[in-house]
Amino acid sequence: MTRTNDEVRDYNLFIGPNHPGISGNYSVILKLRGDKIIEAKAEGGFLHRGFEKLMEERLYLQNVAIVCRICVPDPDPNEENYSRAIEEIAGIEVPIRAKYIRSMILELSRIASHLLAFGSHAGSIGLYTLPNWTISDRDRILELFEELTGGRVYHIFIIPGGVRRDLPKGFKRRVLEVVNYLESRLPEYDDLFINSKLTVKRAKGIGILSKENAIKWGATGPNLRASGVKADIRKDDPYEAYPYLDFDIPTQVEGDAYARLLVRRAEIEESIKIIRQIIENIPEGPVWNKTPNPLKWRIPKGDAYVRTESSKGEFAYYFVSDGGVRPYRVHVRGASVTHGVHILENLLVNERIEDASQIIFSLDACPPEIDR
Amino acid sequence: MDYERENEFIKDIKSVFKEVVCTVKRERRIEIELPSERLFEFATRMQKNWDYPHLSAISCVDWIKENQFELVYHFWSYNKKILVSAKIRIPREDEPHFESISSLWQPAKFFERDIHEMFGVVFDGNDDLEKFILTEWKGSPPMRKDFITRKYSIEFYGERKYNPEWMKELKKLGDSNDKN
Amino acid sequence: MGDLKKGKLTHRTVWEKIADKLRKRSLWMLHYCTGCGAVELPPTMTSRFDMERFGIVPYVTPRQADILLVTGYLSVKTLKRLILVYEQMQSPKWVIGFGSCTINGGMYWNSYATIKQLDNYLPVDLYIAGCMPRPEAIIRGFNRLIEDIDNGSAQNWKKYYLNYEFYKKNQEYVFGEVNTNLDIKSDIKRFKIK
Repeated sequence: MTRTNDEVRDYNLFIGPNHPGISGNYSVILKLRGDKIIEAKAEGGFLHRGFEKLMEERLYLQNVAIVCRICVPDPDPNEENYSRAIEEIAGIEVPIRAKYIRSMILELSRIASHLLAFGSHAGSIGLYTLPNWTISDRDRILELFEELTGGRVYHIFIIPGGVRRDLPKGFKRRVLEVVNYLESRLPEYDDLFINSKLTVKRAKGIGILSKENAIKWGATGPNLRASGVKADIRKDDPYEAYPYLDFDIPTQVEGDAYARLLVRRAEIEESIKIIRQIIENIPEGPVWNKTPNPLKWRIPKGDAYVRTESSKGEFAYYFVSDGGVRPYRVHVRGASVTHGVHILENLLVNERIEDASQIIFSLDACPPEIDR
Repeated sequence: MDYERENEFIKDIKSVFKEVVCTVKRERRIEIELPSERLFEFATRMQKNWDYPHLSAISCVDWIKENQFELVYHFWSYNKKILVSAKIRIPREDEPHFESISSLWQPAKFFERDIHEMFGVVFDGNDDLEKFILTEWKGSPPMRKDFITRKYSIEFYGERKYNPEWMKELKKLGDSNDKN
Repeated sequence: MGDLKKGKLTHRTVWEKIADKLRKRSLWMLHYCTGCGAVELPPTMTSRFDMERFGIVPYVTPRQADILLVTGYLSVKTLKRLILVYEQMQSPKWVIGFGSCTINGGMYWNSYATIKQLDNYLPVDLYIAGCMPRPEAIIRGFNRLIEDIDNGSAQNWKKYYLNYEFYKKNQEYVFGEVNTNLDIKSDIKRFKIK
């Protein structure tokens, strides 16, 4: 039985775990015919630690130290979700000053994560100047975190009942300096990367996600907003200090890789606006409502589903407690669970091999959230 | 507080499903307990009649004392802005079977695959149930409550024992700051 | 287990000493982000902390790399691919264990999916402590490795050939059999390891 000409030409290509064209330790198996991709299959599990099982064996306060390691570029929504789930079940009130401080930390973390995403996207096209700029600018935000919380990347600052300590002296002035500096750098990024002819020619028209497909396949976050749907958890299902703040939700219509880039750039501007409002209007008061003895603390029976808008999309926890000293079940729904598996496999079909890396980076999927 | 929009939606649900238990937990959160045969009908109505296009997650809880698994489906609507959590119970066996909703929602394919490899529940109608994460794992499904991870880890991987010999050598060398 | 005693296996001829002096100034690092410690590598590589002034450049293929940086914890699935990558690197090569998860399991000490001691599967030259180490600590670790290459005490890559059955038995116990086509006898002859 002879094979047709096409079947002889098909072959498998592994964009495997050791590869610079993929964000993190993840693997995509492509089936190629010439230069065109016919089929794609994602393979994960290289970063599995069994978090949901580890959390069932530790006390409530011990979990605060490990829960931030679930998502590596953007760790603060994890601590926020964990603390807010416990407060909802146990009925603890958070003081108003702590809500403003938590919102400020979340917005600073969002800017840092978007700057890292820009650097990776530019690196996939070949513009290696931009990662040198954005990662060095991101270091100024990490210095602010180090002064406030003690750690550059993992903070362990948001605990059930509030935050750990108050802002140090002169901190508000330093935050304003960093934010003013970042705003003055945005026109330079525009000139080098976003408005340059090279980016526009390479990123326009590839990886198009239409509006019906975005809702049908479960996209959330900037990927959904770049396809024309105006949805944001900070406005639809508000939490912390967001009901008192005034900001806008940027959207685009085309849904290709260039539109996702523009949405992320506009979100940095909105976050800078939010941080300025927080620093002007933050009220005085305590920052922590005392919780009982942490080694013997029992939470009443119940369950809660809490959601946060992280920089990658909708991040949610389903928390079940049965009245003991340890959580009974914590289910983590990472934001990239739909982006990194199904949407990636569907968007790569009928594209060329030279655009594959750019599509993977423009969706901004983070593998530790998928594998936990 | 008077939850007007939530109570109105509960009236719509109860007009079709007469005997279910619906509670309003807080603003924008409704919880429903269903018998397990009526879940597919409920999910079809949510998507087609009541404007709920987004399936946020499917979670599974192992109630070992009551000998049951609990599956929770979370739905969200962009226009109504109310989150509905539907809970069902299935018996706890070695390989319990349940109907899949992946023909209506495509994200459900991955959530059901995840529950299959972590708990062992088989979803009929989902043709993509091979392992995603635990491809080198040979034991029982690890998220069940009778699998104790601390004991397994110490037996299988071993521990580095505290050995005073190298501690004494390190103390003799002094702090590395003195050399550099 | 065969040990590297001073004088027997760390003896170097004059040509090897000159080669080590030249080698230490141009080490290429394999860019493989295996765990969560890899998020502090971009600040070290870019313009603020700049490790390229020591000659260390990230490179993508294992055939042309000298240093393998194991950043953080290793799940069993990654360890299988990492052994294949390690055996493709050309000798002499160096392994650095990054963070506290390589020493004794770190924060995931009771997890069913990560390995606890890297020493059982690969010979390690240097450990950098921290969770996670700062970029300044990483650069200090690299400087210590450069000094060790210069005075001849960083030759743990020879241990892999001498104790191959020990490492292979531990690897197969964890993830099963893998056929890697590593030719031990001709490599021992070529590098004159006795």
